[in-house]
This record gives sequence, C-alpha cells and structure tokens, in this order.
Amino acid sequence: MSAKIVVRDLGHEYVNPFTRERVVALSGVDLEVPAGEFLTVVGPSGCGKTTLLNILAGLIQPTRGAVLLDGRPVVGPGRDRGVVFQEFAILPWRTVERNIAHGLEIQGVPRAERAASVRRFVELVGLKGFEGKYPHELSGGMKQRVAVARTLASNPEVMLMDEPFASVDAQTRITLQEELNVIAQATHKTILFVTHNVEEAVFLGDRCCVLSRHPGRVKTLVPVRIPRPARTWKMFTSDPDFTAIKDQVLRLVREEVGAQEP
Amino acid sequence: MARWQLATTWVVFLGGALAAWSLAAATLPVPAYVLPPPLAVLTSGTELITKGILPMYVGESLRRIVLAAGLAMLVGVPAGLLLGLSRRIADVMYPLLNFFQSVSGIAWLPLMLVWFGFGERTILAAVNYTVLFPVIFNAMLGVRSVPRIYVNALRTLGGSRWRIVRDVLLPGALPNIATGMRLGLAYGWRALIAAEMLVGANGLGFMIFNAQNFHLTARIMLGMTIIGLLWLLLDYFVLRPLEEATIARWGLVQR
Repeated sequence: MSAKIVVRDLGHEYVNPFTRERVVALSGVDLEVPAGEFLTVVGPSGCGKTTLLNILAGLIQPTRGAVLLDGRPVVGPGRDRGVVFQEFAILPWRTVERNIAHGLEIQGVPRAERAASVRRFVELVGLKGFEGKYPHELSGGMKQRVAVARTLASNPEVMLMDEPFASVDAQTRITLQEELNVIAQATHKTILFVTHNVEEAVFLGDRCCVLSRHPGRVKTLVPVRIPRPARTWKMFTSDPDFTAIKDQVLRLVREEVGAQEP
Repeated sequence: MARWQLATTWVVFLGGALAAWSLAAATLPVPAYVLPPPLAVLTSGTELITKGILPMYVGESLRRIVLAAGLAMLVGVPAGLLLGLSRRIADVMYPLLNFFQSVSGIAWLPLMLVWFGFGERTILAAVNYTVLFPVIFNAMLGVRSVPRIYVNALRTLGGSRWRIVRDVLLPGALPNIATGMRLGLAYGWRALIAAEMLVGANGLGFMIFNAQNFHLTARIMLGMTIIGLLWLLLDYFVLRPLEEATIARWGLVQR
C-alpha cells in the first residue's frame, strides 16, 4: 500500500487573539496514512487534533512543514478531501436530500444521476423517509448522518472527520459508530477520524494515533488488529483483545493528561 | 391560542373599547371636536370615500411608499450584501451605516427641502433614505453573521466563491435581510406620514395634518386608523407569508 497522506515535519503556531499568547498547536508531526486506512487520532483536548485535521482539509495554512496528498502538496480545501465537522455544518435552508446532493451539484453531476446517488446514500445512512425534511426538524444524530452522507455522496478520496459524533447522545453514537464501520468496509476510503474518545478511536481505527500535547506531536501509533466484520459493540464489551488495546491507548492518553496535572 | 379564541378575544376587546369610547364621547363634558364618537369617524370615512378623496389619498401614500421603499430595497439589499462580503469594508462601513440609520429621514427633511424643493421629490427622498439604511445595514450584518462553518463546509465540497455566495451567504443572510426590510418599511411608513404632513399636498399624512386646521377631529382619527390598518394588512399579506416560506420554514426564526 502506498501512502495516501504524508504529513512531514508539520508545525503550527498562532497567537491567541484574546490572551495574545503565542500557542504552539503542533510541532514536528510526521505521519503517513496508507490508502484505504482508517486512522483515528486521539488525544486530550487542546492537543491540536482539530488543527491537524483543518490543515489536512486545507482550511488552515501550517506555519511549518507540509502535507502531501498522493505526493502533491495540499494548498487549500478541495473536494478530494471531504470533511465531516464536529458542529452541524449542513445548511438549514436545504432539505436533507438537497444537502446530500450539494457536493454533486457543485461537481455538475446531472440531475438524474444525482437523484440516484442521493437515494443510495440516504439508504446507507438510514435516512429513508426524511428526504424532504429540513435540518431543524431532525435530531442531532440525524443531522450528522446527513453530513456523513453529503461527504460520502461527493465521493472524496479522503474523508476527514472531526469528532463528528461528539454532540449526539450515547445511544445514537454507538449506532453511528457501527454504521461508520460498515461504511468503511463498503467504501474502502482513506479516513482520518479525530476524537477524544478512546473507546471510539479503538473501535473505529485500523491504527490509532495518540497525540501528545503542548506541543501536539505524534506520541505513539497503536495498531488495532481486529477484523472489521467482528467489530460490533456487543462483542467489544467482552473481547479481551479490544479491552487490552483500549487500556493501552487510554494509558497513553492519560499520561498526557497527567503530564499537565500536579 | 386557537384561531377562533383569538378572534373572539379581539371581537370582545374591540367591541368593549368602542363601547367605552362611545360612552365617553356621549357623557364627558367636552365639545364634540375634542372627542368625536366612533360613529362620527365612520361617517367621515364614508363621506370621504364617496367624495373620492380617501381612495385618492390612500393611493398616493401607497404609491409613494412602494416607489421609495421599492427603490431602497432594490439598491440596499445588493449593496449590503456586497459590503458584507469583505470583512475590511464591513468594518469600515459599520459605524457609518449605523450612524445614518439613526439619523432619521425626518431629520434630513429641512436639508432636503433646500436641496429638492417643497414637494414630491423631497417626500420621496426622505422616505427612500429612511428605508435604505436599515436595509443596507442589516443585509451587510446578515452576510457577516452566517456561521463560518457553513462556508468551510462548502469550500471542502469544492464550492467556488460564487457558489458560496449563492448557496450559503445569501440564504444565510435572509433572516437579517428580512429584519432590515421590516424595519426599513416600518420606519419608512412613519417617515412618509411625517413628510406628507410637512410637505405634502395630498396623502394620509397631509389629510390628518390638514384636518387639524379645520378641527375635523373625526377625520384625524380616521386617518390614524387607516395608517395603522394598512400596516397590519401589509404585514399579514406580504411580510409574513414571505417569512413563512423562507426563514421560518428553515427553522431560522421561532414562531
């Protein structure tokens, strides 16, 4: 497998506009993500996870280093990298259907083809019957399904997901995680998924990247060698392999949190 | 409240108020021109309608507001949107627009009389000005207040700048644009009446101001009632349906 994403000596600094302090969000981040890998990035809050994702998305220009996608440097946002944001970033004035079709509309895909694609992804994320609804008529979990479907429908090579399930209730989160696992198997997309939730990171990732903080850099990469079809929450509560990896990652993350506490 | 309950409440309330007014007019020891009874207002209404004066005055006032406010919106909405597109321009314009929004059209009237003369052009200019600034100001604010995340989402979908303007900034600015139009029209309607009082040779403002010279109190009350009623009609048949179809449907405002 070739590396889809290469992050080389990446660093990012900015000045906090309120405290006027200089913040080193990321420093010396090196990372390679093979094509088709599901990489989860986990770390304590404030470790620069979201900054890393935004740089990959091209929404932030790093102050140091580079990001390569298929060997070409990332200079700005583009539809080869779809993003699912933490906040609900679907448009309130578009129905479910039209939100999901938005990327295809931008790509100039003909109407009939667009409709077929929307039907497929509506089904995939379990939104059948809600096509004509507006986002304010949906629950938080359903809004994120729309966001995931919108990104999938526009068929990016890489999916960047920034704590997409953080703001939905625990029950819905499990369902969404299981669904995403199924989608990952079905689409074989390269996915970079940022979360502060260790269980989620281990459940979803082929590898789990633990970030240190102050400054944020790659601390450890933990492989999760559990076949995807076996990943259901029912099995995971009793699977010793899963528990062992989870404990290991949790320990690594706790070291980072602990490092900040007296 | 259910529709019929609301209607009943209003019938009872209005009936009570009219009865109290009639009673006061009949019993209070004041001349009829100080407090004419509701019936006198109605009579003055039918009289002015049969003479053709009232329809003409209402028509003139409506023509002016449509002309002046229509032009203000036609210019103000795109202008405000354009200003809002640039952070830097918006920052510069903010205090300026805020300033002009607060200096009412009526405050400009003396100056406009000097510039445009005693007549129609001054009325239209004053109303146009009054409507223009809240419309520009709010349209600009609207663009600025669209959550950044929507813009970023579209950029990651490969949306062009024009796409972002059309699919995100414009619809996202609509709640504020609607507010601007509502405020502009409401201010403009008041400014029109005031301007007609001072400069007009016809129109509702002229009617109530002129009636005062002849102690035609019933006619003043009639004019005031019509001014209020016309606004209610405009709100109910134009502004509300527009908002229901857009920003309310999208859940951007709570009803």
